[in-house]
Amino acid sequence: MSAPAAPTPTTDPTLKSPIVRVEDLVKYFPAGSGLFGRSVVHAVDGVSLAIQAGETLGLVGESGCGKSTLGRVIVRLLPSTSGHVYFKDTDLTKVRGEKLRRTRQEIQMIFQDPYASLNPRMTVGDIVSEPLRNFGVARGRKAEQKVQEVMRVVGLNPNFVNRYPHEFSGGQRQRIGIARALVLNPTFIVADEPVSALDVSIQAQIVNLMEDLQEKFQLTFLFIAHDLSVVRHISDRIAVMYLGKIVEIGASDAIRDRPLHPYTKVLESSVPVPDPDIEALRKPILLKGEIPSPVNPPSACRFHTRCPIAQPICSEVEPPLEMKENGHFAACHFAGQL
Amino acid sequence: MQDLKVQFFVSGGTVNAVDGVSFEIDRGEIVGIVGESGSGKTMTALSLLRLIPEPGRITNGRILYGEKDVAQMTDEEIREFRGNEIAMIFQDPMTSLNPVLRIGFQVEEAMIAHQRFSNKQAKERVVPMLQRVRIPAAKDRVRDYPHQFSGGMRQRAMIAMGVSNEPSLLIADEPTTALDVTVQASIIELIRDLSRELRASVILITHNMALVASLCNRVIVMYAGRIVEQGPTRAIFKNPQHPYTWSLLRSMPRVDEKEKERLISIKGLPPDLGKMPPGCKFHPRCKFRVDRCFTEEPPLDEVDPGQRARCWVLMKNIANPEAQAQT
Amino acid sequence: MAQAAPVIQPDLELSYEMPEQVTLLSDAWRRLRRNRLALVGAVIIGLLFITALISIVWTPYPTWLQAVGPTYQPPSAAHPLGLDQAGRDILSRIMGGALITVQVGVGSAIIVSLIGIPLGLLAGFYRGKVDTVISFFINIWYGIPDLLVALILVFVLSDALHLIPRGVLVIIIAFSLTRWMDVARLVRGQALALREREFVEAARMSGARDFALLARHILPNALGPIIVQATFAIPAAVLFEAFLSFLGLGLPSPTPSWGAMAADGYHGMDFAPHIVLAPTIALSVTLMAFNWVGDGLRDAFDPRMRR
Repeated sequence: MSAPAAPTPTTDPTLKSPIVRVEDLVKYFPAGSGLFGRSVVHAVDGVSLAIQAGETLGLVGESGCGKSTLGRVIVRLLPSTSGHVYFKDTDLTKVRGEKLRRTRQEIQMIFQDPYASLNPRMTVGDIVSEPLRNFGVARGRKAEQKVQEVMRVVGLNPNFVNRYPHEFSGGQRQRIGIARALVLNPTFIVADEPVSALDVSIQAQIVNLMEDLQEKFQLTFLFIAHDLSVVRHISDRIAVMYLGKIVEIGASDAIRDRPLHPYTKVLESSVPVPDPDIEALRKPILLKGEIPSPVNPPSACRFHTRCPIAQPICSEVEPPLEMKENGHFAACHFAGQL
Repeated sequence: MQDLKVQFFVSGGTVNAVDGVSFEIDRGEIVGIVGESGSGKTMTALSLLRLIPEPGRITNGRILYGEKDVAQMTDEEIREFRGNEIAMIFQDPMTSLNPVLRIGFQVEEAMIAHQRFSNKQAKERVVPMLQRVRIPAAKDRVRDYPHQFSGGMRQRAMIAMGVSNEPSLLIADEPTTALDVTVQASIIELIRDLSRELRASVILITHNMALVASLCNRVIVMYAGRIVEQGPTRAIFKNPQHPYTWSLLRSMPRVDEKEKERLISIKGLPPDLGKMPPGCKFHPRCKFRVDRCFTEEPPLDEVDPGQRARCWVLMKNIANPEAQAQT
Repeated sequence: MAQAAPVIQPDLELSYEMPEQVTLLSDAWRRLRRNRLALVGAVIIGLLFITALISIVWTPYPTWLQAVGPTYQPPSAAHPLGLDQAGRDILSRIMGGALITVQVGVGSAIIVSLIGIPLGLLAGFYRGKVDTVISFFINIWYGIPDLLVALILVFVLSDALHLIPRGVLVIIIAFSLTRWMDVARLVRGQALALREREFVEAARMSGARDFALLARHILPNALGPIIVQATFAIPAAVLFEAFLSFLGLGLPSPTPSWGAMAADGYHGMDFAPHIVLAPTIALSVTLMAFNWVGDGLRDAFDPRMRR
């Protein structure tokens, strides 16, 4: 369509210097073949967003909504089905081989499971220095110094470089993963549920660490999590995902004060707050039914099967992700009406 | 429950998983036990049912249920007691449901096993039971297998099995940790309603303070196998006296957060149960400790009516705790 | 209570003490030690290796030397295991046989791994066409009667080509070419599972090239099961050699193969059972020991058995 430049999340006028632009990204997985030919999982289905340099964009959604897949497609751990991911000026979906490998110097990832993301057969020193060796940035004495420096930055005792990951606690292991991501001085880091596997008191340590690091190294984060409280705390802007699509994206405060999409509103109302007085008044909006299968997602608006304010049009015409307020986008025919 | 002590005999010595825990629960009350992994919260609940896994053992204390001491019951009595008086809901319903049996059959079995109902009665009660836990289209879904249910539905089925014998105490061990928030909200509502309808007490074991605030009347905070603070929910949340409770509340981000404040993090790690520090078990991580904390373990003393805390310092004696905690 | 005096806070994260270092291998070793049967097996295998080493430099009599005493002589003080039908000292020949057994067993395990590991890694890591081709060959090979092919190989390699004398090496190659699939299939499965693990993704993000991913991240983590599989290949190879030699198709006389020794004594079983018994017992005990150790290793490396 040739609508004259209605702002999309990628051309959000409020973003001055986007460093990452995702355009209409699609990722389908084959889900085996059935009677009626092959079926596909619509894990990510036409996602567009942009990330401003130096900001943290939070990506929330419930299990199975495709948020982790989206993160992995953006960093090209998974190939995309269609669409584009621009990092600065390169289209990451087009690079491959050695050129793709080179992009890892600037783009890094922090993983969810601090137990699974560290090679159990390698020492901490080897794990953290691996990126240095792979890119020939530093060797020998210089690499050692760099590793010790990064370990100190993330709050690990550099004397333990020769220990193995299983000797560390969950929080310490997550610090090792962060050290590995930092050692090449990247500009953009995708953090996939970095605190959800940790105990509450340890979560705060890691969240604080990530905030400090962002300030210190001017990092840009894509912070993926299912926990809206953590995302709210750490993010400047938030994108809400439901069944492979972004339903709302906007400044963290705007989403808290004026959630436009009914799903966002439901999500906001479901999260408990550690305050019994507020809790006594909070009335969660309960959703009917189950989250539909991404193999066979509902027509038009994917939320219409469970939406408290769904109208006939919602199952016929797919609402576009439009800018409803300055820098605040929602994909709903009745935005703000719940 | 009085002065409970659960010890684990492992190679290399004895480990006190739970040490000197005492509390009581009134009828119809919803009590939250909060703590991090390894704090002993699950062990405490399991000992109520005498379900401590090997090589653990209850070495001290009494667990009074009405007049009866659970610790002294015969195996026959305890089996009776588990099914009819207490029901337990676990974090992962998939591991507690038999994957090759239909849901309806398993609910029926749960009722028959404890001889509260005849086979015929049990059969008739299955569908109403599933309806009661708000499983939609319960009539059709009784014939489903567990894998055909979603996580939330399975948890509902587990609750149906638990409450089918109308127990007077429901123990829910992290019942929503594996579930999405929108599902969590509905399960919490369900537990709240069932407790009211059955006039049953509920023990909610969780690491999530916010969940406790929404559901519980009273809170027990555990750390390193001990109760460090307990009291009415409102008092604990508005006026926590133990530094651990205080820090924990400030270490979790809030969804309604207005201004971005730095989280208060608790440095270090919970102690290894095999190598407990002397004195107060929290002192190595405490920002407010005094000399005494290093050597003497404080008692769980009353600090306000109904509220007890195990601390020599108490938060009310600290002038500007936020500033001190951020150093 | 008095106002609490502020305490100077050391940086706990940095000063945190760590328990003594336990590596995964020492952890596995600790669990292996608790397994009695595996321990007994390990001792037997140790004795086997020592015997084999000694036999290189010393045996009571040369293993080929005939008529050191009367033929068919039962065990005596001078000859603890007696003499065979050619008057050779059986103890010496058992010792020499130990060396053959070790060579065949260990050699086969190494060659089988050398073929199976790379093929399995390639198939599991690259999947797609590479996997289709390799898996096709694995399945074809499973369908072939291995004993028959091995027999043909022994003849082709030694007699027809006249390149290598019919010896230990031929047996090892014949065995390995027909039995590499177990290791290949196992490694393929391991690689398939490991390539999806987060630490492999993390290594990819660290800019690791494919070779580094395979050599540094996938192979070391598959090593446990590979060692177990290779351990089970040893008794299979030993049995294979003994079987061929028993039939007279394996190692030529007078090589002191346990299989050949059993065949030698076969005709005198009625009046001189010691000739058959000695190599048979040696063989059985060796096979059992390797199987016990294999079982023990499998349990020790099994992450579900941890703690």
